[in-house]
Amino acid sequence: MKQFISFVIKEARHILRDKRTMLILFGMPTAMMLIFGFAVSTDVRNVRTVVVTSQMDHLTQSAVERLAASEYFTITATAATPREAELMIRRQKADMAVVFGKDFASKRTGLQFIVDGADPNMAQQWTNYAQQVIANPQYSIVNLKMLYNPQMRSAYNFVPAIMGMLLMLICAMMTSISIVREKERGTMEVLLVSPVRPLMVIVAKAVPYLVLAFAILIVILLMARFVLNVPLVGSLFWIIVVSIIYILLALSLGLLISNVANTQLVALLLSAMVLLMPVVMLSGMMFPVESMPRVLQWVAAVVPPRYYIEAMRKLMIMGVGVGAITKEVAILSGMTVVLLIVALKKFNNRLE
Amino acid sequence: MNAIEVNGISKRYGKVQALRDVSFSVPAGEVFGLIGPDGAGKTSLYRILCTLLLPETGRAAVEGFDTVTQMTEIRKRVGYMPGKFSLYQDLTVEENLKFFATLFGTTVEAGYDSIKAIYSQIERFKDRRAGALSGGMKQKLALSCALVHSPSVLFLDEPTTGVDPVSRKEFWEMLLMLKERGITIVASTPYLDEVSCCERVAFLDQGEIRGIDTPGAILDRFADIFNPPGLDKAANSQSPLPGSQRDNVIEVEHLVKAFGSFHAVDDISFTVKKGEIFGFLGANGAGKTTAMHMLTGLSQPTSGTGRVAGFDIRTEYEQIKRHIGYMSQRFSLYEDLTVAENIRLFAGIYGMNDQTIAKKTDELLKRLKFTEHKNSLVASLPLGWKQKLAFSVSIFHEPGVVFLDEPTGGVDPSTRRQFWELIYDAARRGITVFVTTHYMDEAEYCDRISIMVDGKISALGTPDELKERYRQPDMDHVFTYLARQATRSSD
Amino acid sequence: MTLRYLIQKEFLQIRRNAFLPRLIVAFPVIIMCVMPWVMNMEVKNIRVDVVDNDRSVGSQRLVRSIETSHYFIFQGQKPDYRSALAAIERGQTDVVLVIPQNYSRAIACGQRPQVLIAANAVNGTKGSMGSAYLSQIVTAKAMPSAAALQSQAHTFLLYNKHQNYKLFMIPALFAIVMMLMTGFLPTLNIVGEKETGTIEQINVTPVPKWAFILAKLIPYWMIALFVITVCLLLAWLVYGITPAGPVWLVYVLAMLLALFFSSFGLIVSNYSNTMQQAIFVMWFFVVCLLLLSGLFTPVRSMPSWAYLTTYVNPMHYFIDAVRTVFVRGGTFAAVAHQVAALLAIGLVMAIWAVQSYKKNG
Repeated sequence: MKQFISFVIKEARHILRDKRTMLILFGMPTAMMLIFGFAVSTDVRNVRTVVVTSQMDHLTQSAVERLAASEYFTITATAATPREAELMIRRQKADMAVVFGKDFASKRTGLQFIVDGADPNMAQQWTNYAQQVIANPQYSIVNLKMLYNPQMRSAYNFVPAIMGMLLMLICAMMTSISIVREKERGTMEVLLVSPVRPLMVIVAKAVPYLVLAFAILIVILLMARFVLNVPLVGSLFWIIVVSIIYILLALSLGLLISNVANTQLVALLLSAMVLLMPVVMLSGMMFPVESMPRVLQWVAAVVPPRYYIEAMRKLMIMGVGVGAITKEVAILSGMTVVLLIVALKKFNNRLE
Repeated sequence: MNAIEVNGISKRYGKVQALRDVSFSVPAGEVFGLIGPDGAGKTSLYRILCTLLLPETGRAAVEGFDTVTQMTEIRKRVGYMPGKFSLYQDLTVEENLKFFATLFGTTVEAGYDSIKAIYSQIERFKDRRAGALSGGMKQKLALSCALVHSPSVLFLDEPTTGVDPVSRKEFWEMLLMLKERGITIVASTPYLDEVSCCERVAFLDQGEIRGIDTPGAILDRFADIFNPPGLDKAANSQSPLPGSQRDNVIEVEHLVKAFGSFHAVDDISFTVKKGEIFGFLGANGAGKTTAMHMLTGLSQPTSGTGRVAGFDIRTEYEQIKRHIGYMSQRFSLYEDLTVAENIRLFAGIYGMNDQTIAKKTDELLKRLKFTEHKNSLVASLPLGWKQKLAFSVSIFHEPGVVFLDEPTGGVDPSTRRQFWELIYDAARRGITVFVTTHYMDEAEYCDRISIMVDGKISALGTPDELKERYRQPDMDHVFTYLARQATRSSD
Repeated sequence: MTLRYLIQKEFLQIRRNAFLPRLIVAFPVIIMCVMPWVMNMEVKNIRVDVVDNDRSVGSQRLVRSIETSHYFIFQGQKPDYRSALAAIERGQTDVVLVIPQNYSRAIACGQRPQVLIAANAVNGTKGSMGSAYLSQIVTAKAMPSAAALQSQAHTFLLYNKHQNYKLFMIPALFAIVMMLMTGFLPTLNIVGEKETGTIEQINVTPVPKWAFILAKLIPYWMIALFVITVCLLLAWLVYGITPAGPVWLVYVLAMLLALFFSSFGLIVSNYSNTMQQAIFVMWFFVVCLLLLSGLFTPVRSMPSWAYLTTYVNPMHYFIDAVRTVFVRGGTFAAVAHQVAALLAIGLVMAIWAVQSYKKNG
């Protein structure tokens, strides 16, 4: 036990002494939360719009006013002809043009949108929004209800994803690098020859990173709640339980990588390629898995963060009970057990 | 009972046969030496005995336990210090020691007696991080860490490489103390005086045991390797120009380098003349490498003046670099380039053109009898050859002065002798040689030597002068005499 | 010329490395072949559940029109709103449409029955696009006159007429490939020499600082040139996508981005002591640059303080310019200010890279 504690202290010192890495470890979640929470959003906002109209009658006037008043659009210019508006878009001075035809007032026809279609998604949303704004809302028979995220803020979607990514990265990457560093520097030889059981070496190594990951988890949750105003509607208890399962899974992945890699460089590259890329790309963090080709969906099915992110979205944002996430929890637990067993089986008591 | 039994052990890595049918036994309580050139298979043998590697054929037993099946039992009983023993660079001296003590289930206090002689020298730096220690000091700390617990069998893989002679003596005194307590010790070393401290030695070469006997008998039997005839200094000495008539290539006055309140180099002054071989000796951490860094323009002096090859070390360090060669303590060629490519790179940096480089490369390789390895990767060469090559590259552009920082660490006597022939050769061509070393036989080869103690030069003169002045029989004794007066132990 | 020997050395070292040459070839290929399929933010396959409380001919017609729409995956009907909500919670459906009682009668009488559309808006884009489409269908069915305005509105797309998301993303992928290849490899380079100790040997030679740094940069520019060629070829061969503007402009932009990233990598390398540190620091900056560049999300949706950062973000200039050239067919005049900005940032970084390398500590 004494050995175990001194091991944990030693490992904690390694982490605490490397100020720059520490800074990154805590700076990264903070920066990511701020960037995702405030800066990066897929919301339609400040679309530079040109209004093209030949005569300003009452109806056109009120439509333009509604456009200008909405936070989605910023009227940057008025043009006399569609040609003129198109040129503005081509010169990248505007994103879209709303052309009110001659008959707009009388027959309510002749409305045209000229859109910079480079980004198809945004182009579509712009026209959707513009149509909704221009059409008088009183006519609508549809009662829209945006569940869980009435303001439709991207942060709600991204916070669980950031958790999935950062916990994986910190636990898996840091653990694997710290084990491989001992191999590379030769201290592993001494540790192995010592009377301490190799398994204890590994467990002791994992403990500080577990604590660190937990601290980062708390930081993220606090920031989400109090800085980004993302509600944590679900049960905190289950959020933490699922996170712990996920952290364990990440640690076993890190251990597995450290078994394969012999130099820090390889460990770094492996973590980056095997962990980071799939996590960012295939976990549904930014890109919806449903839109991918079938083959990639299969690949995505074995990416653990995908289930964690899904579970967190449901727990944190939607506030559902545990019952609704049994599938995700079961898959995560299964993966954790399998990976842990493989990692421990593969762990080398010798040098080769 | 024999503490170690080795029967017909073989081990290969891919195409390389590291060990071939090795058998020997070591009785309990013996100090057993394992000697042989770099790449002989010593490290593989240690690792097999420590249960870190599995042998391909044969069996080995330590303390009666089989290395393959009874791994845990052996690991409880042995202590191992790998050749490349690495400490935790970001932990302090004390934290390192405490950690390793706990690791082996003991405490620093309990094991203090067995490490006192060495640890007391670095104890005052106990709050410094291991990464900030000088090379020799790290080795001393590593030794302390390896000895802090008292195992029944101790494996030491070249524990004293890069350690100064005084500390080496103290280290071996400690080993003999451990032997008194009945501990079996297996150690390898490139130093002859240490070989003589062993009761029996095995000479390992190319994975095979060539002989096991008392040190005297082995050194006799393989005299061509271990005891090459000394260099004839008289025959190699300079044209009889009186010293005063030659130009000074290095002039240093009141040079100081301080790190905070610590004066690593504390007011040193000396001159080196053209074509001279100047030995720059001192204990680990006496300030040799720091001084050398200032002379080669790698760092700025805190105060004092110095000129190298006629240029000021403070302001004209880039010009100095044009006129010197340098071979650092850490091996300094690119391992992933071939021999020819390394030569070409460094020659190119000094502005030689392709034809000259090609011609001189061929000449050099022919002289070193190295032509067949022209296109081998440097990483694949034995250490001794790398060192010779690194030296040749550092003087390839015919510099006025060449600085060598412990150029011959860790190789056998005959290889070192060949290296010194190259040094004499360079000196004959008028290249001034400025060299640090921990081998006192090499000190005797120098024209003049200085001995640094605690950042100051405490003795300066020809080897004969110094021996006479301090009334000691050889350089080894002179060094020990002076270094034992040190107040600050190291760094 | 000292530089020549140094560059030769860098190339030899890259070639000798067991891993790097393979990485340099395989990485762009993998990224270009897989990523366009992944980086697809198109909202497709939105799942709809319907709760029909009216069960009249009119409501059935509405349900059928949703069923036949290609946009939605119609999952079937649910007995009540509660069970539909439960389906959303379990992640089985995305949008629920609730048709009120007396829907048909109200329509016939010219009243406005309130049809409820409840969308899972955790993913805001998906929620808003799905509900917008659904409400269009509902409006069109229920009130043909009110829908007139919308159906008459005609959208004219200036570029990317086929609404091909890949055309939008592939030029941006170039940025990611360039960033990883010319940013991370140099980051490891000088730290690597520090860790093996060879840098000390270089420092005692009379090599000028700029030559040493330039010799490190040039190989990565060559790699950049190779990589961008591979990317352009693959875009053409695999996806049939070619730049609408001049190809040479794509090369100019790519090289300028390489200038920035390779210099930046060396700066990080110069200030770091270990590879781990270097990689982490680099990673931090790269992620920030990438997220704030407008690659994934429109920069104009950012709040103004975040938008200000795009003025110093070379990734933003590159992505903006390369999309203009690729998709919008822009010529040099259209991207002149981005080229100027990239050049300026790149040069500042290159000078900094030379400055931060210390031969005499």
